[in-house]
Amino acid sequence: MMSLLGDYTSSKLSVFPKSASSFSGESDWVFHFISIVCVVFFVPIAVALFGFAWKYRKAKGEPADSQTDHNTTLELVWSIGPSFLLVVMFYFGARGYLDMRSIPEGAYNVGVDAYKWGWGMNYGNGVIHPELHVVAGEPTKLTMTSKDVIHSLYIPAFRVKKDIVPGRFNYIWFKAMEPSEKVMSDEELKQLAAKDKEENLSWNYDERQCTPDGYTFYDLYCAEYCGTNHSEMQTVVVVHETQEELDAWIKQYSSRGPDESPAAYGAKLYERRGCKSCHSIDGTRMVGPSYQGSFGTMREIVGGDPVKVDENYIRESILNPKAKVAIQQGVAYQPVMPSYKGQLSDDDIYSLIEFIKSLGDASAAEEASESAADEAAETAAAEDADAEPVSVE
Amino acid sequence: MSAGSVPSGYEVKDPGYPTSQENYLTNSKGILSWAFTLDHKRIGMMYLIGVSTAFLLGGLLALGIRLHLFAPDGILFNNGLFQWLAPDKAPNDIYNQVFTLHGAIMVFLFIIPSIPAALGNFLVPVMLGAKDVAFPRLNLSSFYLWVGGAVFFVMALLASGLDTGWTFYTPYSTTTDSSVILATTGAFILGFSSIFTGLNFIVTINTMRPPGMTWFRMPLFLWATYSTSIIQVLATPVLGITLLLLIAERTMHIGIFDPEYNGDPVTFQHFFWFYSHPAVYIMILPAFGIISELISVHSHKRIFGYRFIAYSSIAIALLSFIVWGHHMFTSGMSPITTIIFSALTFTVSVPSAIKVFNWVATMFKGSISLTTPMVYAIAFIFLFTIGGLTGLHLGTLATDMHLHDTYFVVAHFHYVMVGGTVVSFLGGVFHWWPKMVGKMYSEAGGLISAALVFIGFNLTFLPQFILGSRGMPRRYATYDPEFAPLHQMSTYGALILGVGLFVALFVLIMSLINGKKAPANPWGGATLEWNCTSPPPFYNFERAPVVGDPYEFGDIRWDTELDRYVKVEPEREVVPSETPAETPAHAGE
Amino acid sequence: MATTDAGLVSDAHEQPGHGHSDHGHGDHDHPSYLAHHFDTPEQQFDSGKLGMWLFLVTEVLFFSGMFCAYAIFRAWRPEVFEGCSQFLNTKLGAINTGVLLFSSFTMAWGVRCAQKEQHKLLTVMLATTLSCATIFLGVKAIEYSHKWHLGLLPAGLFSYDPSNPHPVGGPNYLAYICAPFAIITAGVAVWLVVSFLRGAKFQFECAKPLLVVCLCFFVGVGLGTILESGGEEGHHEGDHAAVAAVEGEHGGAAEHGEEHSHEKEGEHAEEPAADAVVDLPAAGAMVNESADLAVIERLASDATNTGLQDELAARRAQSQQSAGGILYDVTDDTSATIASAPEDVLRPSRAGVFFSIYYCMTGIHAIHILAGIGVLVWLLVRSIRQDFNRNYFGPVDYVGLYWHIVDMIWIYLFPLMYLIR
Repeated sequence: MMSLLGDYTSSKLSVFPKSASSFSGESDWVFHFISIVCVVFFVPIAVALFGFAWKYRKAKGEPADSQTDHNTTLELVWSIGPSFLLVVMFYFGARGYLDMRSIPEGAYNVGVDAYKWGWGMNYGNGVIHPELHVVAGEPTKLTMTSKDVIHSLYIPAFRVKKDIVPGRFNYIWFKAMEPSEKVMSDEELKQLAAKDKEENLSWNYDERQCTPDGYTFYDLYCAEYCGTNHSEMQTVVVVHETQEELDAWIKQYSSRGPDESPAAYGAKLYERRGCKSCHSIDGTRMVGPSYQGSFGTMREIVGGDPVKVDENYIRESILNPKAKVAIQQGVAYQPVMPSYKGQLSDDDIYSLIEFIKSLGDASAAEEASESAADEAAETAAAEDADAEPVSVE
Repeated sequence: MSAGSVPSGYEVKDPGYPTSQENYLTNSKGILSWAFTLDHKRIGMMYLIGVSTAFLLGGLLALGIRLHLFAPDGILFNNGLFQWLAPDKAPNDIYNQVFTLHGAIMVFLFIIPSIPAALGNFLVPVMLGAKDVAFPRLNLSSFYLWVGGAVFFVMALLASGLDTGWTFYTPYSTTTDSSVILATTGAFILGFSSIFTGLNFIVTINTMRPPGMTWFRMPLFLWATYSTSIIQVLATPVLGITLLLLIAERTMHIGIFDPEYNGDPVTFQHFFWFYSHPAVYIMILPAFGIISELISVHSHKRIFGYRFIAYSSIAIALLSFIVWGHHMFTSGMSPITTIIFSALTFTVSVPSAIKVFNWVATMFKGSISLTTPMVYAIAFIFLFTIGGLTGLHLGTLATDMHLHDTYFVVAHFHYVMVGGTVVSFLGGVFHWWPKMVGKMYSEAGGLISAALVFIGFNLTFLPQFILGSRGMPRRYATYDPEFAPLHQMSTYGALILGVGLFVALFVLIMSLINGKKAPANPWGGATLEWNCTSPPPFYNFERAPVVGDPYEFGDIRWDTELDRYVKVEPEREVVPSETPAETPAHAGE
Repeated sequence: MATTDAGLVSDAHEQPGHGHSDHGHGDHDHPSYLAHHFDTPEQQFDSGKLGMWLFLVTEVLFFSGMFCAYAIFRAWRPEVFEGCSQFLNTKLGAINTGVLLFSSFTMAWGVRCAQKEQHKLLTVMLATTLSCATIFLGVKAIEYSHKWHLGLLPAGLFSYDPSNPHPVGGPNYLAYICAPFAIITAGVAVWLVVSFLRGAKFQFECAKPLLVVCLCFFVGVGLGTILESGGEEGHHEGDHAAVAAVEGEHGGAAEHGEEHSHEKEGEHAEEPAADAVVDLPAAGAMVNESADLAVIERLASDATNTGLQDELAARRAQSQQSAGGILYDVTDDTSATIASAPEDVLRPSRAGVFFSIYYCMTGIHAIHILAGIGVLVWLLVRSIRQDFNRNYFGPVDYVGLYWHIVDMIWIYLFPLMYLIR
């Protein structure tokens, strides 16, 4: 219980998360207005309720002091009176809402692909990244689609929310006001990234309170229930101070660097493009088959002869996941993976294949002896280690 | 259709305490005499046992949810025990199934039938002065449909669970591999159970009122039940067809709701909420009725603003049909539709507020006995007022954009559904328990349960308002560490609430074992059910009851010698009537 | 119609009801037909009537859900509804409408008979109503089996192929539908004979009209078969003209059809109708991919083009797998994403929505007819037993109301489904 109190020191006492968009002021104001009205009504009711219960407590059989059963004036007053307040609330609510629905011309457009269970923010030119990066003070418009079920994009700090319904485009816009700060130097980031790599962990946003690029962030949640990992369908929003800063950030993710190995870049894509939410690299069974040691093995598929996991199979599985659905130990996987057609370049797919190869290549093992296979895996691991785990230019 | 008014001079001297030794519990014996009974009281009791079982099951699932959420990464379903129970399921999947079944069981199996079917079945004919409901066979079949629906839910639970949320939103529900068809079939069957109950009550209240029972002499519980029944009859068929189409969508891919076949998920939401919003009022309206009775009887004072309360029930019933869109403010409806739905939503708050004001005014200058039912009723007003007022935040568009689908919504509807309906259900059960089983329970035990429920409930759900406004989305199996303290408070509260409910159960069960025999009128109520013995005889009334004012407490006094309430001679013109007339037409002859 | 009835009924029974209203309860006063908890027959009748009306309200609301779905989807895709409506045989629909209207008439007459205690005539009226119901179902059986054969099914199962509208083989759906009715008919016939031999007069009296009722189902089937084959020519010719005007370029597709040898030449005209369904909605949105596929499909229908046939077969197999064995659409295989739905329109599913709604509405209506048959049989038996009299005719009246509502729903369904032009 002490910790409970400790957490509610002044700064955290607010009922709201940080107010960080042009909407949040209006929204919070309306919220507080309604809350005050509620308190103004609630306190007298509660006082009367408990007060009467106490004051008019009587022994059994004592008749009531009054048997008044109506007072039309009073009743009309309390029926009609509060209605005026309701009109005021409705007015402010509708006004704020219309602001949210009127998307300004020339807003910076980011595409949002929601899928089970992750986000792909599309910045154009093939740059897709799970984090949402926007510019402070500039209106940003999100054009949102879902690949599978209904999701809902929710940024508490911006006080905005919109369902993402498959089969239609939904839009949302906001103007972020509070830019993120860069709280960690590149050096520290590199160290942390290397440590993660060693311990085979992914970046922990909650613990470190900054993104892998060192910025503070705002939470972005999926607010519409969408299945198993609904609660893990979270990402972050980073607000840059200038368009240039944002452009620079986008640039570094635009494609594989000239001196970056395909396997290392594949590892990044694995993190960034949502593969890791369904495919493990340590052999555990998740929503989809694990990558570990899968390359070159024979794989049972639904409604067909076993196929070899080779470049063509992986490519097909990325572009058309439902064509050959894998079976593991007699249990077929759910055909839930969305197609990545048009979302990954040939080089991206090549990089992913190389990455999967690097996690163990059974075909190599067939040819060479077992120890040689180990060696190969080691080489691959070494290759990974060589490449920078998280590139920060 | 209308029973007309009481002919002048139609009063009997006999205060109407029947003397028969046989009551509805003892007049026939054996399990079959219960299984095939057509007696509304027995059906009501069977419903009471049924819905209580469902409540227990749903409550245990709720405790599971709260315990799991004690820590940010969850502590219950990733525990070894659950892994052993469901080895092929991820912890998150178990959580998702638990919250889904909690919702579905509570909504379809417990809250909707709780007051109308359990208490309503017992009370409507007795309060009305009728011998039974209009269609006893339909009534029994409605109970067995409920059982059938429950069986389907249990089958869904045992087959592969249900993980869609109780709302069955497409396309999730058309693509998941859990037992959606079993559960929707169950809900479909339960819908018919609900329709039959509602239909029965409307017909009963319309055609079976005895002479003298005019519309405005009906106890407010009957008004509330009548309004509820209107919603049940008008809204439930739409749920039926929606679920049927959902089943067809899953089996034949009819392409109405599933975007993969060019259907539209938002259409499903419209269909679903067209029923399910009125369903919210199916849950709360009868609670209003109970509270109107409880407050007035235990304050021994006429209900204040009878007509306003009665009309506001009907108003809520009608308004409930045009506000469903407020569940979909963020779904991408056109702005104009959204704004219209917001405006309509605000109108519902007016009749609800009227009721609260009237209840408080009823207590003013009353003679209040702080009995268990009264304490529950006071708790209801307190909790329901919070629930209702926080609805304003959600009806207001600008704030709803932030609060929709967060814990704020969870807290809001639990304040209405649990703080409202469940608390009033408990209050009602404690109030009519002596009538139902003929035994008094321990007042002290009842008061302790009320206190624990009140404290536990507030501790559970007040923190959830703050969680919601700070941005915690609902239906999350894991959450960010910053939300942990509030979640922990909520879990402690849930444990206290659970203890309170078990105390209530214990008190009631103990009363069966060693309870004092209940007098006909333990609280000094003026409605007709207090005129027959506790428990009532098989046909409710030995002779046609004399219908008076349901809130006239002037002629009911506490007799210290007899240790019970007695009806004193009314100081009015009294004309004994040898053969009580049955129809107004005849009475007028 | 129903309301007139109600008026009639309450008028007719006001006076006699009073005989029983004097004494309250006490079972000795109760006529056998009066339930214990009612005081007077008219209270019982009013309760039943109000209950029935409320039940009908729920029925109407139940269907209103589907009418809403119909309205929504028709507003979105009027051309799909127009095109698909051509596949429904207006003549069969019209016949069924007539049959149901007539049955409503006999039902209403039956209520009148019950009130006037004309027991024989009541039996005749109920039997006629029942016969109409089974004729309706017989015709419906023809309609359904014909469409299933063509593959005109709900979106997910839709397998209609314009280039091969009459697939050879496949199960004989008509036989499956008729089988249960044939078994029941045989059963009733046996019952009739047995009861006649054993001299069980009452049973014999019941079995007689029931056998007629059962046989009427096959009358319906026969009627449907005649109209379906006879009406084919003119019916589809007309469509052809109408559709060809809209969709001139696809007129050529009809020529393809001629390569196949079918029994009914007139059927070929359906092809352009199908194309209209498929391509009209796509006009705005459909792009290269599905158009390509359409071309492949068309070319592959030429028996010599084995390469393309293989290609098509491969795509089908793939999509079949991906859909878990359900064949939906060949264009769907490479882009399972829903987000891209606006671009590559899934053609059968577009047409399929119409048939989804068609089957849901007419199917649930048919279930109501079946339920109606059930209660009417019960009434028939009771009327032969002469249960009803001027004081007690509630059940006939209530079932009458139900029957009228079922008819009324069909009267809305018929123009909404069959007569979209």
